[in-house]
Amino acid sequence: MDEAPGLSDQYRTASPWPVFVALGIPISEIGLLFDLFPLAVGGLLLFTGSIAGLLRESGYVESTMRSLVVLSAILFAFGGALVFTDVNLVTRGYAVIVAGALLLVGGVVFELFVFEQRQSI
Amino acid sequence: MEVNGQLVLTVLMGLFLIAVAAWLARVENWRSYTPLAGAGAVGSTEQYVSEEKPSGVIRWLTTVDHKDIGILYGAYGLIAFVVGGLMVVVMRLELADPASTLISNTFYNSLLTSHGITMLFLFGTPIIAAFSNYFIPLLIGADDMAFPRINAIAFWLLPPAALLIWAGFFPIPDVIPAQTAWTMYTPLSAGVGSGNQMNAGVDLMLLGLHLSGVSATMGAINFIATIFTERNEKVSWANLDIFSWTILTQSGLILFAFPLLGSAILMLLLDRNFDTMFFAVEGGAILWQHLFWFFGHPEVYILVLPPMGLVSLILPRFAGRRLFGFKFVVYSTLAIGVLSFGVWAHHMFATGMDPRLRASFMAVSMAIAIPSAVKTFNWITTMWNGKIRLTTPMLFCIGFVSNFIIGGVTGVFLASIPVDLVLHDTYYVVGHFHYIVMGAIAFAGFAGLYYWFPIYTGRMYQTTLGKWHFWLSMVGTNLTFFVMVLLGYGGMPRRYATYLPEFATLHQIATVGALILFVAQVIFVWNFVQSWLEGPKVEDGDPWDLADDDLVTSEWHWFDRKLQTAIADGGEEEAELATDGGERIDDSQSTSDVSSDGGDPVAETDATSDE
Ligand code: HEM
Ligand SMILES: [Cu+2]
Repeated sequence: MDEAPGLSDQYRTASPWPVFVALGIPISEIGLLFDLFPLAVGGLLLFTGSIAGLLRESGYVESTMRSLVVLSAILFAFGGALVFTDVNLVTRGYAVIVAGALLLVGGVVFELFVFEQRQSI
Repeated sequence: MEVNGQLVLTVLMGLFLIAVAAWLARVENWRSYTPLAGAGAVGSTEQYVSEEKPSGVIRWLTTVDHKDIGILYGAYGLIAFVVGGLMVVVMRLELADPASTLISNTFYNSLLTSHGITMLFLFGTPIIAAFSNYFIPLLIGADDMAFPRINAIAFWLLPPAALLIWAGFFPIPDVIPAQTAWTMYTPLSAGVGSGNQMNAGVDLMLLGLHLSGVSATMGAINFIATIFTERNEKVSWANLDIFSWTILTQSGLILFAFPLLGSAILMLLLDRNFDTMFFAVEGGAILWQHLFWFFGHPEVYILVLPPMGLVSLILPRFAGRRLFGFKFVVYSTLAIGVLSFGVWAHHMFATGMDPRLRASFMAVSMAIAIPSAVKTFNWITTMWNGKIRLTTPMLFCIGFVSNFIIGGVTGVFLASIPVDLVLHDTYYVVGHFHYIVMGAIAFAGFAGLYYWFPIYTGRMYQTTLGKWHFWLSMVGTNLTFFVMVLLGYGGMPRRYATYLPEFATLHQIATVGALILFVAQVIFVWNFVQSWLEGPKVEDGDPWDLADDDLVTSEWHWFDRKLQTAIADGGEEEAELATDGGERIDDSQSTSDVSSDGGDPVAETDATSDE
């Protein structure tokens, strides 16, 4: 355990994201199950946003923007399936789609402002 | 009205998200952020983490250190144990007389349901995870778990899970607690009929259970990856310790069992809320039972294998010898792991299933008793002619063996179809599995808590109180649950708040036993908390004198080095200490308690760069 190879000597012992990933799951589940639009949207945003943050933090992805786009694409697909197929859970589907759209917007904003600033350091 | 509600929710949710974003922006220094992969110079890149852990509550909310997470799991498990324990105290008081006097029958059913789910999913699984998180990386010489963040996510799923499972008890309008029992048999749990189980409280409980399953699955994946890939090169499969073996097997079982429970719960939720018909059609009730028990029986071994590992690890330390037949203990663990998927229908003998199928399940159920017995004999032989030291952890280990024998033997009887047809759904079954879940699993948990108390608190508990805790627990457990075995012979059915007067005496004895158990746990909590805060500091890296018999395991070496490097957290931290351990670099991440009490980040960063 002593000769720490690779990552471990700079491995971080703290991360703000896991709590929010974990909170996002139940909030979105409750929102979707009981058809509570705001909870569904908020929970999904919290969940997917934190996933993106986590991926970024651990260095699994280079660009936050790209993971946000992928995640919102997944949300669009899932929401679309709920709205436009025989499943026919329309309001819930729209909640998922709205979450996907907000995520996309958030990604663009993040890319334009925060990322710019980081580059300039 | 409806729209207003939505509006309020939207505003609240929005505010919450903004608060989260603001907090994250503060904690996470976006601009100086360099992902790990690209980091060049250590120490300059990660602003708030590389120096020391954040302090206070934030530290616990953001930690991904396996030891911190282990402590969080432990605290969580013990809190759940208190909640589940208090629930059952109320139930036992109600059962002190035949009529329904103290609480209503429906409230009894609610408590019964929550007690079971709380103890199995919120106490049992997490308390095992507490030990495995804290000690597996130390035992196998890993820096941390393979996926530290997933580890943190898995833990943080649990508090919301508990809130959802207990939601019915909170004063939320129109929400009542589930009364489905932990088995959640349909059609009752599907909300069919004139009962009140269509209530949202049941949905919340199912969601909570689902969440705890997701958490367990994430943890299991993490342990499998850790044990396979993060071992120190000195730790081979041949000398992997027994606790890691049991956790590895348990993780495999979780991987196959919990996703199935998750899917079945989702199907049930769909039935309840979206008019699907999985469990409503002809045969649906049996379908549920098959799905549930295909998960449910492996679940009992998920809960018992790691405690067996703990006992196999701890018991030899106080018997002054190595574990007898180590290899066979490992083989029997693996055998149990495989066989446990082939016995589930022994919970369904009374459903009128095909007798030929029933017989085959009976055969496998009997077969699974063999590896269990192998372990029991190995523990006994380890103690035979050993140099036994009756410390508190050892007492709990011996108590484990004793209770496990009674629990196991009653189980073998239940596995026999004709016996089961008589005893099914009686208190005999309750006695059987409580000998195991309380008498064995909880006892092993206590053994671990006492054994490693010096490591995770740096202090020693009060030994006299520890022994009181053991003896009262042992007497209480055997009184309560042996009486239940007798009640079962008498034909007392399980899951009722009331009973015929002829059962009164035995029920009253069981209640007395439960109260003894309660007193024992009060002593435990007092001892635990008081000693953690004020107990004498442990200065010896080998407080159990394991070196005398050459039985030291690597977590004690780690503890010893930690003491050497940090000069017990006596307050006088000195910068030079970091160097004398030579290779103690991982301490910069792990000696959390040291840095938290005033902390000298300098020494710690130095240590990081010395490799
Ligand atoms: C080793 C740890 C064990 C645990 C944690 C355990 C746990 C349980 C639990 C919780 C139940 C109650 C199921 C219900 O709600 O009806 C149960 C029932 C049963 N157990 Fe065990 N058990 C263990 C060992 C065994 C063994 C070794 C056997 C047999 C070889 C066994 C055979 C049975 C049978 C046949 C039942 C069904 C009784 C019935 O409902 O009619 N168990 N066990
Ligand atoms: Cu079983």
